[in-house]
Amino acid sequence: MPAKADTQLLYVLRNDLALNGAKFGCGLAQCGACTVLLDGRAVRSSVTEIGSIGDAEITTIEGLGTVDKSHPLQQAFIDEQAAQCGYCINGMIMTAKDLLDQNPHPTAAEVREALAQNLCRCGTHGRIIRAVLRAAQNTGKT
Amino acid sequence: MIGVAVNLTRRHFGKAAGVLVLTFALAARLAGAQAPKLPGSLANNRMLDAWLRINADGSAMILTGKVELGQGISTALKQIAAEELDLPLTRVRMISGDTAQTPDEGYTSGSQSIEYGGTAIRLACAEARALLIDQAAKRFGLPAEGLKVSEGVVAAPDGRKLGYGELAAELDLDREVTATVAPKPPALHTIVGRSVLRRDIPPKVTGGAAYVQDIRLPGMAHGRVVRPPRYDARLDNLDEAPIRAMPGVVTVVRDGSFLGVVAEREEQAIKAREALIGAAKWTGGSELPDPRRRGSTSS
Repeated sequence: MPAKADTQLLYVLRNDLALNGAKFGCGLAQCGACTVLLDGRAVRSSVTEIGSIGDAEITTIEGLGTVDKSHPLQQAFIDEQAAQCGYCINGMIMTAKDLLDQNPHPTAAEVREALAQNLCRCGTHGRIIRAVLRAAQNTGKT
Repeated sequence: MIGVAVNLTRRHFGKAAGVLVLTFALAARLAGAQAPKLPGSLANNRMLDAWLRINADGSAMILTGKVELGQGISTALKQIAAEELDLPLTRVRMISGDTAQTPDEGYTSGSQSIEYGGTAIRLACAEARALLIDQAAKRFGLPAEGLKVSEGVVAAPDGRKLGYGELAAELDLDREVTATVAPKPPALHTIVGRSVLRRDIPPKVTGGAAYVQDIRLPGMAHGRVVRPPRYDARLDNLDEAPIRAMPGVVTVVRDGSFLGVVAEREEQAIKAREALIGAAKWTGGSELPDPRRRGSTSS
């Protein structure tokens, strides 16, 4: 890997590994578009240096599921049509994944709280919250 | 003109069409133009085959110069095409924004894609459908009025059927759109006006390629732009040498007060940009209001 230890994880994921899921939004950990999971917990990959990761397992949205075999969260976002431009959705889904792993049946208020630091400029928040609640419901059934 | 057309039935429209064409021609002559102005994006892309192709299997390929930005137009424009062509949505495909193939519709902006691009696709597809029906009428030796179209198949009252694929092989769509064929009246719509799932969302929730940022070219470098600290500020002074010496920096780009940097890797471009911000000296420009005075009544 040509990247140095102080390189932020996001650039390695996008540019060296050609993964599209995590997005560059602000580069300052303020918007959440770059969110990935490190050992299951949501982190902002644009401010996470690769030298600090150690043996932690990195999960990107590509690792959740595919168009043909989608994760319940991805399917819920499709079912609710919870995207306009869609640029923030990676962060919404990855942050929601962390939430549902910790709290499989959150209330709408808890979903709101968990996603409060993820920005959507289009204004899709209402659908996003419904999608997370739907995923929680569907996960419980399987 | 379209407003007029929509209020006419297809049968009546045939009679009125001559009058409309004459009006167009007269207006064009008065304006000194060669050809009548066509509605929407047809105005600058007048050929029928700029907008659609009918494939040998009877499916359609729609061409659009408008691009998907999350407004859902890659779905909505297909709905319009499928509606006017009497094809199921699954048999309409679309090429968008490939400048070698698609009509030049300028920018995708201003909530104008349906108004301009949709108008063009609606009229072009209505006209293509009429041409396909006329071709079927010729083959059947029957008047076009008695023929019915369903899912890309034209049927005669006696049970004979011809598919779009076969009919299109005998038709040349390399012709100007006349925009005189009335689109379907909304009361007959079965596809337009109904919600269908947006086709751009699945790749957006699974890390598919969905954005300009997802394009990677061989040997691609990364750039960052330095914005002036104040609106209208001028870049006066800059020692580029230390920035050019930074790891991975390919070049510093300076053109008047435009300032940017190109580097081999994205994180290198970001670091070089930070260094450029420190090194650049700007003069002039209007100061922004002091945020601490926000809420003050003075301006």
